[in-house]
Amino acid sequence: MTLAADIAGILLNGLQTGAIYILVAIGLSIILGTLRFVNFAHGALYLIGAYAGLLITLEIDLSNGLLREWGFQTIGLGWGFLPALILVPLFVFVVGLGMERFVARPFYDRPDTDQILVTFGLAIIVQELFRVLFGGQSIDFARPAWASGPVMLPVVGNFPVWRLYVIGITAVLVALVWLLVEYTDFGLIVRAGTQDPEMVELLGIKLTRPYIVMFGIGAALAGVAGVVGAPLENVNPNIGTGVLVPAFLVVVIGGVGSIRGAVVGGILIGMVFSILVGAPLPQVTVAGTEIVWSSWAQVGIYALAAVVLLTRPEGLFGEEVTG
Amino acid sequence: MARDSSSLSRRDAVKAAGTLGTLGIAGLAGCTGGGGGGGGGGGGDGEDYPSLGNYPIEGDTAMFGFNVPTSGPYSSEGEDELRAYEMAVKHLNNGGGWVDSQFDDLSGDGVLDYEIDYVTGDTATDADTARQSASRMIQRDDVVMFSGGSSSATAIAMQGLAQEENVLFMCCLTHSNDTTGKDCVRYSFREMFNAYMTGQALAPVVTDEYGDDLDFYQLYADYSWGQTQQASMKQFFEEAGWSEVDSVPTPLGTSDYSSYLSEAADSGADALFLNHYGLDGANSLSQAIEAGIDQDMEIVLPLYNRPMAEAAGGAIEGIFGTIAWDSQIDNTPSNEFTEAFSSEYDGRVPSGPAQLAYAQTLQYAAAVERAGTFYPPEVIRQLEDFEYDNIGMGAETMRGCDHQAQRDIPVVRGLPGSEQGEGQYFEIVNITSRDDVGYGCDSGPAAECELGEYGDE
Repeated sequence: MTLAADIAGILLNGLQTGAIYILVAIGLSIILGTLRFVNFAHGALYLIGAYAGLLITLEIDLSNGLLREWGFQTIGLGWGFLPALILVPLFVFVVGLGMERFVARPFYDRPDTDQILVTFGLAIIVQELFRVLFGGQSIDFARPAWASGPVMLPVVGNFPVWRLYVIGITAVLVALVWLLVEYTDFGLIVRAGTQDPEMVELLGIKLTRPYIVMFGIGAALAGVAGVVGAPLENVNPNIGTGVLVPAFLVVVIGGVGSIRGAVVGGILIGMVFSILVGAPLPQVTVAGTEIVWSSWAQVGIYALAAVVLLTRPEGLFGEEVTG
Repeated sequence: MARDSSSLSRRDAVKAAGTLGTLGIAGLAGCTGGGGGGGGGGGGDGEDYPSLGNYPIEGDTAMFGFNVPTSGPYSSEGEDELRAYEMAVKHLNNGGGWVDSQFDDLSGDGVLDYEIDYVTGDTATDADTARQSASRMIQRDDVVMFSGGSSSATAIAMQGLAQEENVLFMCCLTHSNDTTGKDCVRYSFREMFNAYMTGQALAPVVTDEYGDDLDFYQLYADYSWGQTQQASMKQFFEEAGWSEVDSVPTPLGTSDYSSYLSEAADSGADALFLNHYGLDGANSLSQAIEAGIDQDMEIVLPLYNRPMAEAAGGAIEGIFGTIAWDSQIDNTPSNEFTEAFSSEYDGRVPSGPAQLAYAQTLQYAAAVERAGTFYPPEVIRQLEDFEYDNIGMGAETMRGCDHQAQRDIPVVRGLPGSEQGEGQYFEIVNITSRDDVGYGCDSGPAAECELGEYGDE
């Protein structure tokens, strides 16, 4: 195994680990940046996306849960993956609009703690609802036949095809959202509103609608993350909470409200993890015990966040949109 | 001005992330209560023995506690255990299943004229949560016995509490050497075999299949079970002529193993041992197959079960491992259990952990009947060195020196996805006799075991 192959492998692994976090973090970051709303229910949107994707793509056997007790032995449409990739974002977009109208909006002027409590409560309700309906067990979200198994890449060697798709889909979606925010009138209004909402409204532009749409877009991205991310693992009611914490760290590292920050933050987290697990790091012995670097991979992510907070408290790209 | 508001929201984000962590733990730690307390007149057998732990029982209902993970990486196993526990209580009170056919000591009319009731708790696959939940069962619900597991860290925490509180703990699923090794206690009994015995059972079968001088690489879950599992695989495969290239710990509950796996693939080893269990095992195995690692390396999953196979799907094809029990094992007790479970739960096929849960509950109840009392030291003496052949795994002894059952171990190989069906996921390659595995009371994990006191010394 050459050094080039090592480096290429680590980069690719880091990129794909970060990709899902990026998709979730963008919505989180935009909503926090534009609406000043701390949305702990964002992970629930990932969860909804994953289950919706599963039910559109496959027909699954139920072995557990209330739905089975009601007589459903199997459930799902079995339409395949591509319809899921198109329908799920639309569906979660609508869910996001509902969440903005009925959960977020009444809390915009309330303290952060209130926002945290209500959205965290909502996240638990959604999670437990899925557990009651589908049971707590993990369901295999089989990858579509055209994207399963390994592919032989030059230099790197075998790499799972699906993970390449995840990187590709993330890149396309991020580019679309960036173009929307940077180069359209809609994006201009949103950015202006973020800087000085009072002045924008004085100029006669109503900010409510663009803000709702941004909320919906953030939600839709989390939904897509659920569809593309779930086949990497399994689908169960806890995956929403699992993805929320790293996504929050991405926002902390990248800076609130910045798409560029979310992308860089996500890639950095993925890389740190991948390097600590995989890179041929020097052997260090502390008090007679050798340090196993891979055990420190999780710690490394938090250490990275800590270093960024100490050296650049507003995050790497914190001022881009909000400043 | 704008800058101020930006830095404010940054601080909010950091604060929020911190709160999230705390709330997440609290959210996972939820418990579900069940059953109710017994009331009414005295009765019972309280006169012959002093009070100890939750003995004597007040009222005419004896309370059991079932403490299993219904959240976390081992929740599928936990939920199946819970079904079996509930069925065991039903059979103890009303007859049915093994109570009628295999356990002569049991009447099907309660235990020693006490009706059995139960409470449940969620360990969240976390030792500290498990201990708190068990403590609540002992203090508030007055359980006379509790059972559970599905992670050795939780089982070891619970059995430590059992010894302190003088309330019996019947281990369900726990496979770490430490449970009946260095962390063993007088107040706990284990039917499940351990990592050491898995190594003994697997090494001959696997080396026979793949050759006897291979290099192997290990990934292992970084807690009690994974550590002893890794050590035992190293010991027995190196004794059989293989050599370990490297072994790397992974945190419990990891969902993405890709970085670990690509490191393993680059190591140049011939075989990869995935010492992961539950959802972790299903994830690491299916991600290994997805990355094409099986094309260059032989993969071994030392400890399997049915919910794992279900979640991993076709990825288990050809993969060797050991299991606690499987419904395909064809003998009278096994068939009776499968039949009772299926008719109770709508055609569902029971998993190995379910069989352990059911067996351990009935074993305790039968020991109480033999002792003629719930007084814990007497019940313990009934279980120690008890010989039995009624739970579908052949003749067994619950050894007195370390409370470890001496029993056969099924070695299995995963079926291809196309041949898998409801309940059929493996072919049973070999049922390794208990004479070919195990160790003396002064060797292996047992050498480190100090059981502690009965409580009536």
